[in-house]
Amino acid sequence: MAPPQADVLQGTLDLLILKALAAGPLHGWAISKRIQQLSREVLTATQGSLYPALYRLEDRGWVAGADAQSPEGRRIKVYRLTADGRKQLVEQIENWRVLAAAMHHVLGTN
Amino acid sequence: MDLRRLARRIRVLVRRDAVERSMADEIRHHLDCETEELVRHGLPPEEARRQARLAFGGLEGVKEDARDARGTRLVQDLGADLRYGWRGLRRSPGLTVASILTLSLGIGIATTMFSAVYGVLLRPLPYAEADRLVAVWERDVVHGHDQNVVSLDNFEAWRARARTIDAWAALMPVSVTVADHGAPERVIGADISPEYFKLLGVAPALGRDFEHADAHDGRVVLLSDAYWKRRYGGDPAIVGHAMRVSGQPCQIVGVMPASFDPPRFGWLGGQALWFPMVDSPEKRSWGRFLLVVGRLRGATSAAQAQAEMRAIAAQRERETPDDVGWSASVVPLKEQMTDDARVTLLVLLGAASLLLVIAVSNVAMLTASAMRRRGAELAIRRAMGATGGRLVRQLLVQSGLLAACGAAGGLVVAMAGVRLLIVLLPPETPRLTSIRMDTPVLAVSTALAAVAALVCGSFAASRGRAAEGVSLAARASEEMRGTRRPASGVLVAVEIAFALTLGVMAVLMARSLIRLRAVDLGFAAPRATVARIALPSTSYPTDAARRVFFDRLVERVRALPGVTAAGLVSTRPLGGLAPATTVRAADARSPHDATPNGGVVADVRWADGPAFSALGIPLITGRVFTADDGAAPPRVVITRDLAERFWPHRSAVGRKLTVEMYGTLSADVIGVVGSLHLMDARTPARPAVFLSAARFPNSVWDVVVRTGAGAEPDGIVSSLRAVAKALDPSLPLYGIRTLTDLLDETLGSDRFAAFMLLTFASAALALAAVGVFGVFAAEVGRRRKEISVRLALGATGGRIMTLLVAHAVRRAAVGIAAGTVIALFAARAMNALLFGIAPDDPASLSLVIALVLGVALVATVVPVARALQRSPLSALREE
Repeated sequence: MAPPQADVLQGTLDLLILKALAAGPLHGWAISKRIQQLSREVLTATQGSLYPALYRLEDRGWVAGADAQSPEGRRIKVYRLTADGRKQLVEQIENWRVLAAAMHHVLGTN
Repeated sequence: MDLRRLARRIRVLVRRDAVERSMADEIRHHLDCETEELVRHGLPPEEARRQARLAFGGLEGVKEDARDARGTRLVQDLGADLRYGWRGLRRSPGLTVASILTLSLGIGIATTMFSAVYGVLLRPLPYAEADRLVAVWERDVVHGHDQNVVSLDNFEAWRARARTIDAWAALMPVSVTVADHGAPERVIGADISPEYFKLLGVAPALGRDFEHADAHDGRVVLLSDAYWKRRYGGDPAIVGHAMRVSGQPCQIVGVMPASFDPPRFGWLGGQALWFPMVDSPEKRSWGRFLLVVGRLRGATSAAQAQAEMRAIAAQRERETPDDVGWSASVVPLKEQMTDDARVTLLVLLGAASLLLVIAVSNVAMLTASAMRRRGAELAIRRAMGATGGRLVRQLLVQSGLLAACGAAGGLVVAMAGVRLLIVLLPPETPRLTSIRMDTPVLAVSTALAAVAALVCGSFAASRGRAAEGVSLAARASEEMRGTRRPASGVLVAVEIAFALTLGVMAVLMARSLIRLRAVDLGFAAPRATVARIALPSTSYPTDAARRVFFDRLVERVRALPGVTAAGLVSTRPLGGLAPATTVRAADARSPHDATPNGGVVADVRWADGPAFSALGIPLITGRVFTADDGAAPPRVVITRDLAERFWPHRSAVGRKLTVEMYGTLSADVIGVVGSLHLMDARTPARPAVFLSAARFPNSVWDVVVRTGAGAEPDGIVSSLRAVAKALDPSLPLYGIRTLTDLLDETLGSDRFAAFMLLTFASAALALAAVGVFGVFAAEVGRRRKEISVRLALGATGGRIMTLLVAHAVRRAAVGIAAGTVIALFAARAMNALLFGIAPDDPASLSLVIALVLGVALVATVVPVARALQRSPLSALREE
């Protein structure tokens, strides 16, 4: 049976991107792959929706994009987590923990 | 939003193209990577690419969302809309220029009038806590005068007892002769309480303010900045110098700041210098003469203060017999100063607003006519995916661009307009210096432009919708039917209605002015010159000395070539406020008693015999004064209305009356002259009593000189000066005016209103004519095929003309009907400005209706005539 699929909400996509970049800078496609990896193939956003989220995070100053060269020599843009972004990640993880605990409590799924 | 984020967004905006390319590269790279992975998993390359695309989602949608995410979409779209709008405007330059000019005119004129209304009526007075300043008056309950000057005793009593008003000052205008280095001149100033400037919160720029001690002998003076610059060249060391004021030395203790504009109200006009008011027994005998200003305590209202003052006045009534029948009034100072100008300015603002509406609707119609041609373009764009909202936004942006240009032009018009307005406004307009273009005025101007943009944009958008719907296939049949355009019909009706309203306002005001000019004042203004001379008591200590001087003066003036009559009068006609008092008939059986004690309030003047012919006042019965009338008992010359009041249908000559002057005078009537309008043309004639100059000599007289036809007025002025100088070089002859000039001055405000309204009405009529012409020309253009068909079927040009013009007249009739109703309301609103003419005067209304109808007819006949001239075949062939 295929694992349960879950549509990813906008806010959580931001959080996923921040988490994906926590280990190190990645370019766009690699971020998408990392999210799939980390969620054990459960969370698959429509890949295109990654980019608006990335640009929003860039506008907010939580990630920073830089031009780089791929190993194949292609011009790519690589994103890294900024200090602000790292702070945001910690905060949002905590918020998520609190929210999840509350939801568990309400739904009786403890 | 913090600065770094703003900087990021600006960078994105500036490097728009590079950012787009970078995004396209990124997406391409993503698709390549995904494709490669799918190929690695075993899919064939094309299938892999297709799957990669599917997995990615809609490209354009992602790009739009991405642009949105950067937060720059709105700005980018706006930029695109602006460029598009600008291109659209440039495509039809004639229409664009006409629209911008029309909007500039409308917005500029409305802004100018608002700057006047704001500066005079709304801007806070430039004094400390100005909204708490009030003017306090005595109220003559018996004769119904709410604002009477105040007696010194009452001022002190009020100051001691009032609780709602915690600061007080009194002042009165004075006229003095200043003579030190330089020619002697007559200067108007004011005697003030030492606390006056502190009450206003203004301190001298040089030197010091008055102190309590100065009120002891009053030999100090404060100068205004303008007078200091004019007479002393702005000498910074002026403080401490002495100046000779009316023969006495006075020390200059300070100069007021250049920005100080003292309040003007009541008798108080401009002031060049100030003296501390000195208490004296003489002043206590003057009765009521003070202007009083106070400051309300805390948050008390003027109404509350008035209630308290009335109670205090009631106390005074019980304490002092002089105060029986007297109460008090309290008026906020700003209202006191500006009330006279209120109606005129508001009426003119209303008129300018009507003009603005006409201008905006003209531009809306111009915009809409441009839209008609773009129906096909808009339909295609909508088919290609532009949303209705986007199209509307673009049209609004285009109208906004037009309105912004119009607003910029309007600003230029307003800046020139404000300068022109200050020149045209009568000089006695209150707070004239307060009229300028600053923030509130600019804010209003911007708001007007925004409203104009909205109106034009919405109109264009709705027309654009209609044009779209009608485009292409439907157009041909629609043209044949000649369907009506309800929206532009409304605009034309509005324009005609407002133009008619402005026309009626202008005609009523102009006719009021004509009637004012035609009022028989009772004296003859043409060819009469007046000049005032005041003798100082130091050089002319006795009545005899003064009489000798004036006798000699008048004799020499009479001998001047060109002079037909010359005499003396205490205050010239049209010379402002002057004494008035109660007059009673000595025989108690007078039937027309106006007051409980049987008296009538009459103006009091002193004059010699020749003054009557110099002023051109006709003698009706009896005689005027001669030199022998210096003997007791005193004799008076009265006006006809007074004679009719006391002794109707009987001769007044030889009867006695009492005048409450110099105590109570009993006087014989020796002559009756015609009724006089001594104040101005508008004020109805009031009874007047003349006392003999010989019997009551004085040190200040107005010399009245009448010249024959052909003598130039300037020549007389220099001759008069020469005569005065020959008799006493230290005496200035001042206040030299012709009665015609004085009369024009009194009509200044009416002339201004008439001029402005006529200008507005002409502009409105012209704009409305253009609007009607435009709409009707467009309609005739649309119906060309129909006309050609009719012509081909045998109709004559005349019949078609009648048909179309009748159609236009029916449409104009709606506007005229609405306009008549609005005009009646507007005329009623300006009733206070009118004189001798009713607001619903039918002749004026008919005149304007006929004019508007005529203009509308011409505006409709011309396009029809032009259409008829063209060959019908060419119209049919056109597609």
